Amino acid sequence: MKILIAEDDPISRKLLQKALERAGYDVLAVENGKLALEALCALDAPRLALLDWMMPELDGPAVCRAVRKRTEKTYSYMVLLTSKDSKEETVVGLESGADDYLTKPFNVEELRARLRVGERILLLEDRLVEARENMRFRATHDPLTSLLNRGAILELLNRELHRSQRENKSTAILLGDVDHFKRVNDTLGHLIGDEVLSEIARRLLGAVRSYDFVGRYGGEEFLVILNSCDPAHGPSRAEEIRKSISRPIMTTKGPLAVTMSFGVLQSADWGPRSLEELLHGVDTALYEAKAAGRDCLRLAKPPANSHPPTISPELLRHGH
Amino acid sequence: MTSPPPFQPAWNFSELLVRVENDQELLRDLLNIFKTDLPPLLESLKSAVAATDMKKTASLSHALRGMLANLAGTRAAAVAAELERLANAANPDLLGATLRRLEEETASLNQEIDAYLQGARA
Repeated sequence: MKILIAEDDPISRKLLQKALERAGYDVLAVENGKLALEALCALDAPRLALLDWMMPELDGPAVCRAVRKRTEKTYSYMVLLTSKDSKEETVVGLESGADDYLTKPFNVEELRARLRVGERILLLEDRLVEARENMRFRATHDPLTSLLNRGAILELLNRELHRSQRENKSTAILLGDVDHFKRVNDTLGHLIGDEVLSEIARRLLGAVRSYDFVGRYGGEEFLVILNSCDPAHGPSRAEEIRKSISRPIMTTKGPLAVTMSFGVLQSADWGPRSLEELLHGVDTALYEAKAAGRDCLRLAKPPANSHPPTISPELLRHGH
Repeated sequence: MTSPPPFQPAWNFSELLVRVENDQELLRDLLNIFKTDLPPLLESLKSAVAATDMKKTASLSHALRGMLANLAGTRAAAVAAELERLANAANPDLLGATLRRLEEETASLNQEIDAYLQGARA
């Protein structure tokens, strides 16, 4: 594990460095507080730090305060080294954001034991961050396909529509539905149905650009957002995506021919409408594609006169 | 009546050996750093005391105290701590006398260190 030693006294610095190298640490040693702060704020910074209290440029407590202000960084475990031994000064050190303090001259075994405590705290923090990230992922992603779930893709769509209006660009919304998917489930079983949905998700992701978005909108419905998509190219891009699906899928019960139908909407054609109205429009276009025989797409045409309904929060949470 | 302070050696060599985990090479390196860094530090301290610069005296005696304590120069470290305390209390009366004691203690320590280094080389 990497560790930073910030100590201006060369004797103390060398002693610490040797003691920690013997304990297996990867040591970075600096001689003032300014260099310590730079090291702790760098990419791939050491997460364990031993900071002398009195140092040129910045003292140990000032380094602690500056590091603690950087909330976006992962946690750094900082131990102040001090020859100050009054209770008041200990409180000042800990209040500055230090996790522990050690009185100089240090005892090697005590130093290592205290750093092992620091390592345990950092390990615990890593586990908490990982658990939080997993929860965040589960809250915004579909567990089967790992695509964005309905709530997340609609939030992104809302944001992208506002952005494209601000920037006078167009966003293409594609609503796709797997043709005759119920038959797959009914004849081959839900596990095969899941294999089909997972493969379609993979193909959709492979067919869009890295800055486009794909989400699972409902059971066998997928929503694709093509950012900054020129209205002249929207239908042809949508057609490419549709074709990328129309190849047999290798399931555990053999190859299966699968197609999808799409409704396509260009936000620039619709002007400033509500999210709900645009979703209704693209859904209608999808319905038309289904009615036209499936395995095709239809472009959503804005109604001549319509009163935009307000956005319903329910829409962001539930299916329709 | 207060009891006399317990005897402290000028150099607690066994304590230092524990601190360096019996690493003789590291020990020699540290002592050589000390031999190089001590004279200019003492000179700066003498100038600060002569100028009654309390802030500088406190800072330099603090640095010296840390260095001496790390090398287990217990008696000299205790005198450096006393000098730091006097400077922090802005008490100029005993600064000169305490500085002289510090010079004596560091000289004793230096003698012991020199003897060790000569013995180690022999």
